[in-house]
Amino acid sequence: MYGYAGKLLDINLSTLTVNALPLDEELIKNYVGGVGFSTKIIYDQVPVGIDPFDPENILCFGVGSLVGTNVPTACRTEVSAKSPATGLFGTSNSGSFWGSELKFAGYDGIIIRGRASSAVYISINNEKVEIVPASHVWGKDAWETIKLIRNELKDDEIQIAAIGQAGENLCRFASIENGPYDAWGRTGLGAVMGSKKLKAIAVRGNKSIKVFNKKSFLNFTNQARAAIYESPFYGPFSKFGTMLATVPYYEFGALPGRNFQTGVIDNWMETRSRKLVSKYSNRGISCISCPIACAHWVEVKEGPYKGLRIKDMEVTPLIGFAAGCDINNIPAVSKLTEVCQRYGIDMVSAAGTIAFSMELFQRKIITEKDIGFQLEWGNEEAVFKLLDLIIKRDGIGDILAEGTKRAAEKIPGAENYAMHIKGLEIPMADPRGRWSTWTFGNITNIRGGDHLRNRNPVENLRFNDNPIEYKCEKFGFPDEIYEKLDMFEKVKEEVFQQETRDVNISRMSKWAEDLISVYNTLGICIRPPVLQAVGPTLLSNLYSTLTGIDITGEDLMKVGERIWNLQKLFNLREGEKSEDSVFPKRFYNEILPDGPSKGKKLDAVKVKEVLGDYYQVRGWDRQTGVPTKEKLDELGLK
Amino acid sequence: MARRMVMAPKKCTGCTSCSLTCAITYNNEFDLKKSHVQVKKNDLDGTFNIIFSSTCLSCGKCAEVCPSGCLSIIDSGNGGK
Repeated sequence: MYGYAGKLLDINLSTLTVNALPLDEELIKNYVGGVGFSTKIIYDQVPVGIDPFDPENILCFGVGSLVGTNVPTACRTEVSAKSPATGLFGTSNSGSFWGSELKFAGYDGIIIRGRASSAVYISINNEKVEIVPASHVWGKDAWETIKLIRNELKDDEIQIAAIGQAGENLCRFASIENGPYDAWGRTGLGAVMGSKKLKAIAVRGNKSIKVFNKKSFLNFTNQARAAIYESPFYGPFSKFGTMLATVPYYEFGALPGRNFQTGVIDNWMETRSRKLVSKYSNRGISCISCPIACAHWVEVKEGPYKGLRIKDMEVTPLIGFAAGCDINNIPAVSKLTEVCQRYGIDMVSAAGTIAFSMELFQRKIITEKDIGFQLEWGNEEAVFKLLDLIIKRDGIGDILAEGTKRAAEKIPGAENYAMHIKGLEIPMADPRGRWSTWTFGNITNIRGGDHLRNRNPVENLRFNDNPIEYKCEKFGFPDEIYEKLDMFEKVKEEVFQQETRDVNISRMSKWAEDLISVYNTLGICIRPPVLQAVGPTLLSNLYSTLTGIDITGEDLMKVGERIWNLQKLFNLREGEKSEDSVFPKRFYNEILPDGPSKGKKLDAVKVKEVLGDYYQVRGWDRQTGVPTKEKLDELGLK
Repeated sequence: MARRMVMAPKKCTGCTSCSLTCAITYNNEFDLKKSHVQVKKNDLDGTFNIIFSSTCLSCGKCAEVCPSGCLSIIDSGNGGK
């Protein structure tokens, strides 16, 4: 088989059985790769309405179909299950080297069912797959676990996915660590892994990935690499990584300052922005086959965190802790990142939950008596202590480990300060300060409050609407960038309005969500230099020449749309309603009090109109957001 | 003019593009164990070692795709620089 490894591992931890299933042709045709396969399996096989911690929940690891090749940024694997954070479709994407190793071991994915009677880990070495007792690593953090398993298996480069104590303790936003410094962070899949008593999956492989048409495939690979290098985002992203965003979101006044009470933070540029990247790091770190190297190797050489060495400088923990909790110290954020990585907890939800708690303390809804210590904004020591309580589910940490939505249901008066959508804490940006395809995407996202499934590939980071133009955002680049954009001409005409230089947000959202679903199923990275440079036509050429399976760009986008619709159907089946697709009340009721976006708030009627437009563009009922029969027939879904 | 490859090991970001490219160039498939260049990763420490096998033909394909400047080709006429 070309391109694919050709098998899915199906492991039942209750019965301790392992099967290697050949990839089904229909599955390949309709779903193409990792998260597509996982979506279909979970939709068909997870019983409706089960508790996410029920042994019948299925945890799927799906490797992208281009992973293991030299396609630039083909490194991504997606993990999916019913989410303990949202009760909806849980799914999370990560790069590094684990997924490619799994393909080299001969598998395109792993299906994990059941629950072990005591702690285990899975050891995969090509055909040799073993379920191994793990009581000696249960209770250890992810870094210790990785070291111990590598020692045990006498292989210091074996790739390991592991949970930390947060996952063992069923913290609803626990992550699965992907090696020491990467993670499948969002939607609490580490807790699903913990509920199955599965501590880790260690993978070693030395098989090969075959190529159908080497000459053409390498031509398209070179074309993709050249397009990424030519993107205006490439240089800044290689230099600053995701920290690039620390400046525009400050300039828009759209930081989630002190749990979204302000869009600006004093001295932000001097203390917490991308200006400081070179102070703590002088080199990038890549995932396999990535020319960007957006992550940075950080070494702290002075101060209380002296000696800290870590792969870091990611914008989400930085903005979450430094703006959300007002921690005025980049090394402290790096240390918090380390704690999240070791103990296996999603940095976005952890920072969001702590910021929520700090606001409750500010408003005296919870006090030192409830927490055990003072929890003022910017109090580093208190943030470390509270994070520890959440990981251990100790004291108030037991309530907070449930996430802000459930915690607010238990703490009287807390509801208005729980900044989540569908149970998932919102990262990064305040939509009052920055209204765009990207921020709008938080309410259409199948996984809840999250910014990574919808993004305008030609987003304008130099201009901000004032007042908010709900249906549109402005063009971001010169005309030649739009002309070169790998987007179907008919879609371009619908999305971009040349006369007004407007980008239609509802139409762009459908395009971007379908395209990102394609990216995730093929296993390439959605970083802006790639998202702008590589579209469905080039991807279909890469896929067809790698696998020998003819597919057009249109076919591929239909696959993306099918995956998105099936995940939506899963959510509807689990009880999601259109009224859940809203921002927290604060964004509609309170104006931003200061900064460049001072005075702005969202108009609920206008947001709902854009949402209705989006539903209509998707072929869903304009009011309810339920896919129409015609749309489901078109996609071959029932 | 003669060309030769030079290596600046500290610039390696670990992307393994060199090894993947070598594998597909000489073996027609992505088989890293047959690649003439290997990237040995110490991920906990964020460091990488590039190891060329004695079978390497010095074709420079790996340097052509190296994004970090770790591997590069220079003209070595007149003894190089």
